Amino acid sequence: MVRQDGYQFDSFSLEVSIPPLILQNEASLWSYMQSKYGSEPWFREKIHTGCVSIKDALKFSLINPLEKLLDCKSSLCPFRIRLTYTHTKASEGVAKCSDNGGSCKRRKTGESDSIGEGTLSSSVEDESFDFSKLFPKSENEPCNFSYNCSRTPFYFGGRYLKYSRNVSQTRWIIDDERMGEASVEEIIGIKVLQACGGDNYKFHAAGREDIDVRMLGPGRPFILEVQNTRLVPTEQFANDIEKMINKEENKLVRVNNLKLVGSDGWNLMREGEGEKQKQYAALVWTSRPLKDEDFQQVSSLKDLKVAQRTPIRVLHRRSPLEREKIIHWMKMETVAGSSQYFLLHLCTQAGTYIKEFVHGDLGRTHPSIGSILGCRAEILQLDVTDIKMECFLT
Amino acid sequence: MSDHITEESNFSETKEKEKEKEKQKEQDEAEDEELRKLLLSDVQNLPSTPPSAVESNFAIYFALDFMKPRHDQYVYRHANGLCVIGLAPSHVAFKDEGGITAIDFNVGKSDRSGVKVTGKRKKNAQHFESNTALCKVSTKNDSYIVRCCVKGSLLEVNQQLIKQPELLNASADREGYIAIIMPKPADWLKIKASLVSFEEYKKLREVS
Repeated sequence: MVRQDGYQFDSFSLEVSIPPLILQNEASLWSYMQSKYGSEPWFREKIHTGCVSIKDALKFSLINPLEKLLDCKSSLCPFRIRLTYTHTKASEGVAKCSDNGGSCKRRKTGESDSIGEGTLSSSVEDESFDFSKLFPKSENEPCNFSYNCSRTPFYFGGRYLKYSRNVSQTRWIIDDERMGEASVEEIIGIKVLQACGGDNYKFHAAGREDIDVRMLGPGRPFILEVQNTRLVPTEQFANDIEKMINKEENKLVRVNNLKLVGSDGWNLMREGEGEKQKQYAALVWTSRPLKDEDFQQVSSLKDLKVAQRTPIRVLHRRSPLEREKIIHWMKMETVAGSSQYFLLHLCTQAGTYIKEFVHGDLGRTHPSIGSILGCRAEILQLDVTDIKMECFLT
Repeated sequence: MSDHITEESNFSETKEKEKEKEKQKEQDEAEDEELRKLLLSDVQNLPSTPPSAVESNFAIYFALDFMKPRHDQYVYRHANGLCVIGLAPSHVAFKDEGGITAIDFNVGKSDRSGVKVTGKRKKNAQHFESNTALCKVSTKNDSYIVRCCVKGSLLEVNQQLIKQPELLNASADREGYIAIIMPKPADWLKIKASLVSFEEYKKLREVS
């Protein structure tokens, strides 16, 4: 079965699950021995040196033949093989446990087997329950057996660039209709998923940009989690996928520095996410022609404090608050020889709404470019030009 | 003799570093150039007056003669369902000499400017009918009641107006907005039928 699914692996980790009835029998046997021989020195000695439980004994006996069959060693590794033994006869002990109100804390929805195991093992610890009262039941029916295997998730980290103003960051569907022509997470995720034969992916990015805003410069850090891959990804694999994504005809998205990351990748990305500065370039129009003094006035403002009430365009799903944000610096340059259009470069605190800082959101963002220059200002297009974070830069 | 050799090797080391710095600088400049080209790629054919943020992001409607003749108000509806309410340029209040001098949100049973709406679920928002009074605007000789126009939850009133009522005279269509209301989808459809579009408004009120 392992070959059927096409799993690539060089070692495996074995997990075994056995029916509650066997555990119950084991527990009652132990209880009985404890009560009968508890005072005997040889018994106490045995307890100290440790005894092998039924489950472990089963595991030991299975591991060697499995190793021979699969032609590799067993060890703690991402590839897991799970053998599940179930029995149709529900455990009598379970019913008794719940009657006694034993500590049945580990209830999980779904598999009834784990409920059985959970309540049983926690009751075994609850010594007040006397298992010797339950006689071991002899069973003539064999167990049912099922198996499955899976791999723990792999994580890819990197930076993405978005060249299109019609591509959202994540899949965006309203009333069964897709917004935009594609999404960054699908473009990257589907390629990676297909290449390493995974079941599904999860896309996590350090912040986001609107669908009509391009992501340029070094790109935005992201982590792609892939579950249950059939192949084992390597560094070379990550390089190949990166090249494949960047070769796409329509050049909507680009990926840089794609590589495998461990748990430290998460810390790198989440650390200081709210403090990191972002840099933008906005194409702005003003209702009056601008002069040199205007340019100088804007450039002279350093660490400008801006009070932003929740923008109307997100007010339906965010709390109505006033948030103070900082514009660290600004620089303007003329474009196309016009005196009313210019490119505004600015560096801001994470979480600043740039569009609203330009047009003022009906006065709910103050100050705004318009209020600073004493005229009306509109934003025509916005690009993110830098995300000042340390991670995934190589 | 050995000093001389170390000096030479140091010298060639710094030369190497300088070369690397030069290369890096050239690379950075090339990247900057690339970036600039991208930033300015769509800068042809810019219109002399681009559409405003309100025109681009909202559907603009007008309520004419709302409950009283010449009591004209606008309703800007965002794609997310929120409605911004304000005085249309043809409102009778603007005809009075000196324009609007004061505004009072304390009408009906409560002071509309006092309610604090909090959280994503918009707790504490008052539910109003379309004819519920929002505020009263006063001119030199008269005062006029402004109403919700849209049935829904009142999310906020424009607090700036209390300190600066002149905003209503200077830019009633932007910074002089009166309130933001969140209607239920069904309630919006009901009221939409009685509102007119921007084009119809211009014709009916003979505004250019």
